[in-house]
Amino acid sequence: MFNYIAHRILMMIPTLIVISIIVFTIIQLPPGDFLESYMAELQSQGESIDKQKIAYLRQEYGLDKSMPEQYWTWVTGLLEGDLGYSFEYNLPVREVVGDRMYLTIMVSMLTIIFTWIIAFPIGMYSATHQYSWGDYGLTLIGFIGLATPNFLLALVLLYLANVYFGVSIGGLMDEQYVNQPWTWEKFKSILEHLWIPVIVIGTSGTAGMIRRLRANLLDELNKPYVVTGRAKGLGEKKLLVKYPLRVSLNFFIADIGSMLPSIISGAEIVALVLSLPTTGPMLLGALQSQDMYLAGSFLMFLAVLTVIGVLVSDLALAALDPRIRLTGGATK
Amino acid sequence: MSIKELARNNSLFWLQSIPLGCVAKTRRRPTMPSFLRLAKRAPWNKNLESYFVHVPKLNTFLVVLALVVLLLGGISVQAVMADLPEEPLVTKMAPDQTIGKRGGTLYTLMAKSKDIRMMTVFGYARLVGFTRNFELKPDLLKDIIVEEGGRSFTLVIRKGHRWSDGHLFTAEDFRYYWEDIANNKKLSPFGPPPQLMVKGKSPTFTLIDEHTVRYRWDEPNPYFLPALAGARPLFIYVPAHYLKQFHASYTQAETLALLVDKHSKRNWAGLHHSRARQYKLTNPKLPVLQPWVNTTKPPSERFVFKRNPHYHRVDEKGQQLPYIDQVVINIASSSLIPAKARAGDATLQARYIRLDNYTFLKAGEKQSNYKVFLWKNARGSQVALYPNLNANDPEWRKLMQSAPFRRALSLAINRREINQVVYYGLAIEGGNTVLPASPLYDKKFTKSWCQYDPKLANQLLDELGLTKRNNLGIRLLPDGRPMEIIVQSPGESTEQTDILELIRDHWQGIGIKLLTRPSQREVFRNRVFSGDAIMAVWEGLDNALPTAEMNPKQLAPSVQEQYQWSQWGKYYETGQGKPPQLPEVLELVKLHRNWMHAPNIQQKSDIWRQMLSIYADQVYTIGTVTGILQPIVVSNNLMNVPKEGWFSWEPGAYFGVYRMDTFWLKTKAGE
Repeated sequence: MFNYIAHRILMMIPTLIVISIIVFTIIQLPPGDFLESYMAELQSQGESIDKQKIAYLRQEYGLDKSMPEQYWTWVTGLLEGDLGYSFEYNLPVREVVGDRMYLTIMVSMLTIIFTWIIAFPIGMYSATHQYSWGDYGLTLIGFIGLATPNFLLALVLLYLANVYFGVSIGGLMDEQYVNQPWTWEKFKSILEHLWIPVIVIGTSGTAGMIRRLRANLLDELNKPYVVTGRAKGLGEKKLLVKYPLRVSLNFFIADIGSMLPSIISGAEIVALVLSLPTTGPMLLGALQSQDMYLAGSFLMFLAVLTVIGVLVSDLALAALDPRIRLTGGATK
Repeated sequence: MSIKELARNNSLFWLQSIPLGCVAKTRRRPTMPSFLRLAKRAPWNKNLESYFVHVPKLNTFLVVLALVVLLLGGISVQAVMADLPEEPLVTKMAPDQTIGKRGGTLYTLMAKSKDIRMMTVFGYARLVGFTRNFELKPDLLKDIIVEEGGRSFTLVIRKGHRWSDGHLFTAEDFRYYWEDIANNKKLSPFGPPPQLMVKGKSPTFTLIDEHTVRYRWDEPNPYFLPALAGARPLFIYVPAHYLKQFHASYTQAETLALLVDKHSKRNWAGLHHSRARQYKLTNPKLPVLQPWVNTTKPPSERFVFKRNPHYHRVDEKGQQLPYIDQVVINIASSSLIPAKARAGDATLQARYIRLDNYTFLKAGEKQSNYKVFLWKNARGSQVALYPNLNANDPEWRKLMQSAPFRRALSLAINRREINQVVYYGLAIEGGNTVLPASPLYDKKFTKSWCQYDPKLANQLLDELGLTKRNNLGIRLLPDGRPMEIIVQSPGESTEQTDILELIRDHWQGIGIKLLTRPSQREVFRNRVFSGDAIMAVWEGLDNALPTAEMNPKQLAPSVQEQYQWSQWGKYYETGQGKPPQLPEVLELVKLHRNWMHAPNIQQKSDIWRQMLSIYADQVYTIGTVTGILQPIVVSNNLMNVPKEGWFSWEPGAYFGVYRMDTFWLKTKAGE
């Protein structure tokens, strides 16, 4: 076991190196660099900028150096815990991301919990009552959730919340609480705003999860071991929860790998539409303006989380399902 | 004046170094919790622990001591300090404005946190600034004396004028900029900014007394005053008393190193730059002369700008401006801004609102207690076509350089239809030239080669020898290729694509096929610069409300960003590349040069007219419609916002010339 984990952790190093190279290359792929998009943006607003100053900035930011050199500076910085410098914000990346991280984690965690709370009972019900009215009805609702574009749902809910409840449009709290220390009032204001993104982001995930849980559970429900259990006199509820449900949870555990990064990046488009102060819109903006260190460090962070998430889900799977064995390395 | 602000005063600077060092030490402590825990277990723990416990105690004591000293000093300074300069600027209200009362909060929305620089634009406190009628008048300065035919400029500062932190604004602030920033190799490796250079020579700077400085060039410098009055002004003054602490010539290397480290900058030059952004306002500690002072450190979703207690303007009753106590900028995504404005979240909103939003906003007027004004946009043309005279393709280059060809393209466009279809018939149809409100306007510039006349257009093309057509009716180039003009577009605005769609049909009538190629803005620019593009679509003249005193550089090749002749523009900008050969273009270059040396307004305005006439007659850019309206959402509580105005960047600085400091709120709430 220990060997297996050590092996997996060692394997992370080359994986992350390769990812870092890919991330850096892809961010640099569009023509030009941050200063060019900066100039283009200024020009479109009628502002102009001195060419000499741009040349100076390019030198100051190290954009005149070759790609490998820039990569090296960035990667060595990362190793020392320095996430680099955001050109767009004129601040170290660390400071830029700052508070947004907490709000993002809060939104995403609540969304995940919302998804589970809704999806699990419905999934189990649908599977055990296959082809009943309840199954059809809930499935229909699930499909509507899956099929409606998130951003559209976001706009509709935003409008309704504003008209009927007077919730201010966009954002995660009323404007007077921004930059204020945490108080009960601020918390309430956040709760008032939070339900919209949670529902919007949650709906599609919920529908998907209902379907998968239902399908997996259906596969298991008629297997001989369930029949045996029932024959031996196990109660229906206990039988369901202890055996088929446990087996059908595999997919759910396997999801943890992608869930960790989604806690951080979480639903960019919805966040953009709803103008949430989360990290999603920031990443998007950084990619658009080629703010390479901000975008790069962000993507690297997500990559690290994915790698860790996959390891965690593998270990959890092994613990959950006795059929899964650790066979990492060259074991035969 | 607060203690912190006081600490920035030069005289008390020595005091600041004490708390600063302490802070650095106390900060370091909490970063070593694991170390501490280890130390507690170790046998020598007592000593270590006592070190970590006692140092902060000592620091706290020093901080308190320093604060007490500063507080006492602050009180005494406060007592003798007046808020206004000795000779404040008395603002006369415009006929449609009234004297207001002070107080309240103005809310506005922006899409990015770096948009807070708009407060420098809106605030529009300049050394010299444009009035509503676009005349230049001293503003921050008490007076400016121009002598020797525009060679010598004497700037007179108001006595007792203070920075927002209460420190005096003096000639030293100009000297520091000139000697320690503009001519410091570390801070300005390329020397002073181009507006301060005439033929590559910098001015002689003379410090006459505490309130007077002089800039003198060997040749006239017509760029100087407009640059000072710009929407993004040339800052030739800085708060020296504040910035000296970041400058190697004034601060000890160790203290500076500590600061550089604290702000994680590479060197002191980077630190100085980041602390001194007078335009971008990213440093809330930086003293300014603008009506409102930023109090929020970016990044943030909400920026609060507080009234500058030392602002230099008063109304006729002697009340200090600005009327409004604070301006709050909330950041929201740009697509949400019209919706938020309709919900009443903005007291004043124009940015990120377009004519398309007008009906939507109008419908919400009653419900959210605001009005929508329609201001005019000051672009030469809302959407213009730029034939690339420097195209790489030799056949196309030849055609694009021929005036009859460009005229034919312009004549074939049905501007009436564009106006009706896209702009509800509200726009002005015509070429890309100055607007009727400019003193340089002439109807014939707008009309020149702009009537819809496909017959004449066909005739012009036939005369060029482009008579052969293929079986689809498309004319053929001399080398046999069909005439397909690919218009490069930055792909950002549906407006541009809509109009191109209409022009496609119009050009079909003269046997020319139009294809649109949207790309990304950087790609678009690079294609034009390199000559790969044969035509581009972009907005018309940046400043369509010029006066004779403004530089006519946009009409002659002068910068690379001129999409009709970017390579010639680059030649005059940087000296690289090829100069133009066309006699009319050379004439424009010559006229542009003459303008700089023209001794009086009359001659300057003559030159402007000649240039406009050539530009319109030669159709270097093909304009469509202009005078597009800009909706402005104004709360019913906000007074003094003109019903009609120009919403333009240059000249005018958007709300700048309408003096946002004279806007006031009927009720405190300001909603």
